[in-house]
Amino acid sequence: MGQLKQALQAADPILDLNLRILKLENRLQRERLARLEAEAIAERGLSEQYRQLMLLETIATKANQSAAVDDALRFALKAICDHTRCRFGNVYMLADQGPRRLLPTALMHGKAADQLMPFINLTRRTEFPAGHGLPGRVLESGEAAWISDVAADPDFLRAKAAAECGLHAAFAFPVLVGKDVVAVMEFFFKENLELNAPMLAVMSQIGTQLGRVMERRAAENRLIHDASHDPLTGLPNRLLFVDRLERAVAAHRRRPEIGFAVLFIDLDGFKLVNDSLGHAAGDALLIEIAARLLKVLSSDEEKGVLPTLARLGGDEFTVLLEELHENNIAPAVAERLQQALRRPLMIGSQQVYTTASIGIAASTGDYASAADIMRDADLAMYRAKSEGRARVEVFDQSLHDTAMRRLSVENDLRGALQKNEFVLHYQPVVALNSGIVVGFEALLRWQRGPGQLVPPADFISVAEETGLIVPIGNWVMREAFATIAAWHRAYPWPAPLTMSVNVSPRQFDQADFVEQVLEAVKVSSARPETIRLEITESVALKDPGRAIEILRRLHEAGVRVSVDDFGTGYSSLSYLQQLPFDTLKIDRSFINALQKKAEGGDFVRTILDLARNLNMDVVAEGAETQSHVEQLRDMGCGFAQGYYFSRPLERDAAAALLAQPRRLLPPKHDVQVKR
Amino acid sequence: MKGIVFNLLEDVVSRDFGADAWDGILENSLASGTYTSLGNYSDAEMLALVSAAAARLQMTGPEVLRWFGENAMPLLKERYAALFENHTSARSFVLSVNSIIHPEVRKLYSGASCPFFHFREREDGAVLMEYGSSRKMCDLAHGFVKGAANMFGEEVEITHHTCMNHGAEKCLMEMRWVS
Repeated sequence: MGQLKQALQAADPILDLNLRILKLENRLQRERLARLEAEAIAERGLSEQYRQLMLLETIATKANQSAAVDDALRFALKAICDHTRCRFGNVYMLADQGPRRLLPTALMHGKAADQLMPFINLTRRTEFPAGHGLPGRVLESGEAAWISDVAADPDFLRAKAAAECGLHAAFAFPVLVGKDVVAVMEFFFKENLELNAPMLAVMSQIGTQLGRVMERRAAENRLIHDASHDPLTGLPNRLLFVDRLERAVAAHRRRPEIGFAVLFIDLDGFKLVNDSLGHAAGDALLIEIAARLLKVLSSDEEKGVLPTLARLGGDEFTVLLEELHENNIAPAVAERLQQALRRPLMIGSQQVYTTASIGIAASTGDYASAADIMRDADLAMYRAKSEGRARVEVFDQSLHDTAMRRLSVENDLRGALQKNEFVLHYQPVVALNSGIVVGFEALLRWQRGPGQLVPPADFISVAEETGLIVPIGNWVMREAFATIAAWHRAYPWPAPLTMSVNVSPRQFDQADFVEQVLEAVKVSSARPETIRLEITESVALKDPGRAIEILRRLHEAGVRVSVDDFGTGYSSLSYLQQLPFDTLKIDRSFINALQKKAEGGDFVRTILDLARNLNMDVVAEGAETQSHVEQLRDMGCGFAQGYYFSRPLERDAAAALLAQPRRLLPPKHDVQVKR
Repeated sequence: MKGIVFNLLEDVVSRDFGADAWDGILENSLASGTYTSLGNYSDAEMLALVSAAAARLQMTGPEVLRWFGENAMPLLKERYAALFENHTSARSFVLSVNSIIHPEVRKLYSGASCPFFHFREREDGAVLMEYGSSRKMCDLAHGFVKGAANMFGEEVEITHHTCMNHGAEKCLMEMRWVS
């Protein structure tokens, strides 16, 4: 500018002109420089914007392709560190439980990290409650934050370590799902840096992008979880259980020395809770039971056993025990599971007692598939239940054989009706005072193939379970009723013969049971008053109200009903009084006891007194010896049946008994028995 | 300080006193004189220009700032008419500085550090304005308010109750519109 000063002092026109040119040149130069500067600024801005866009796009693309959230976060950490040239970045995750706070993660990225160890170590073990420190502030505000120099920031909790490691400027931003902060990323520079608002805005967008990935991943995880878990108890469901079991089966093949076992747990009497207290109570019970079982299993987990508890549905739970080094662990666990259920459960204000039947199948059975081992554990459980419940049964081959036999019985049974394989045998009922045959009990036999007559004990339970008993029972009624009708025509007698037919629980449960009986009576043209339906106490007492109603309707139609196997169930005298039974049949076990002990007689005498008071007839079953018969007659028992008189006979043989004199015992005229 | 302020100063000086005057001011202030609205320049450079302008235009520094602010306002309206559109009085325009004008400035010029004004509207119609920027340019604000009043054909009296340039912690100005 020295030239300019000299020129100012001149008054010469030429100089004056030169001066003006100089000034103009100066202005032109200023303008040019301003333009270049503006262009440089604009270019820097554009380039920075482009780089930021690329960063955002790269992270968004990678995040969307990542299989795991951690991969996306790790990529973002590195990309941001590279872009901003910062020294160190790390991720905090929102704590799932407990107070709202951020937990450090292993997701970190840094340059020359060894020099930063004091700061990294401190960061690794520091949690940040909402509002505290840089990440805590971001968690609370949900917005990105910038600190020009953390060493000089009173709210920066790790200032000393940061200063020690030469870290100064820092920024942090939230990973947002909707408006919720689910994670926070923070970054540190070795320089002091003023707020870079545009960059911070881009970081916020990255946070939103990552949040979308986390949200999507969380939704996927939720779907997978829901598909593989029971919504009520939160336990794994059948799908997940079978999957884990398949893995266990495969693992066992690789390492046969380490065993596993499957426990099938079925609650005894759960249906009763559901029916009497309602489904909500049933649900609450299942939740509580799941918690108790889990507690037991978690204590086993500490001992190195790897347990998986699952709910298959209803009241069925299963446990997979892995890493078993001894064979006796599974039964011991089963015992402890039962113990845990023994304490009463509180459902609302109700105390509920429950027990469990547990079946165990172990890897020692050399299984090839999850389905096989589950089938066997189920079989063992089934046996535990049928052996009296609240038991533990371990599967063995005999169980399998029994099951196979049952299966074969079931298969054959399905065709038996069509093939006319059922026959009825008839056992006479004798009046003890006159010795005369007064009726028969129809007994089912199965002619399974030529020369093979199957007794009821071998197939009735299968028929009952499969429901085949209903059509079979109907056939029995029609056949027996038709027989008695035919005999009445063939052998007329002033006091009509009776025909007793056993009714199974499943039959009695049919909603139209009475109609089925009356239909059978009608088609056979039998006289209703000659029919005796025999039902057991337990069947009648299952729903006493319904039983009373059924008995009443049968009575109206003239059909009579007997209590079968009296004394073997939980006889409830109060119900016996309400239920209009006509006849009481004393179980054969009491008659058997007659010859052995004196008390045997007391039991029978008590039953006879009871029947007399209730105005019921009594039929003693299983009268096998003369002594039985005499004692029964002496005690005033009206009727009896048993081998002493006759074994069950085929139809023609039974009919032959009806020919005169029809007497199987010399009469005893001093005892009066009504019939 | 944003380059736009330097551009405005150049514009008003050149318009009222000629391009030579600006050349002289630049020369005396030893400032670079190369300013683009996109750039950022030091506050000291602005103070040097104001001081050089004061000497050349025979005003005090505060007078230069007030004159500059008042005369820059029409130029601002030419450039940023939208900021004026929704106002029917200088009062509402001035009161929108924190909520509308400065946020818009930040959008245009990223990194702009705009001062914040605390306003208090008194029952008698006067507006108290508190200013506490380290730049201590309360007089520029004074000039802007004056200029804004001119734009809306109003007259405003401004009293400086306290001033950072006289040792106060904050500047407190009272604006009273003369009806």
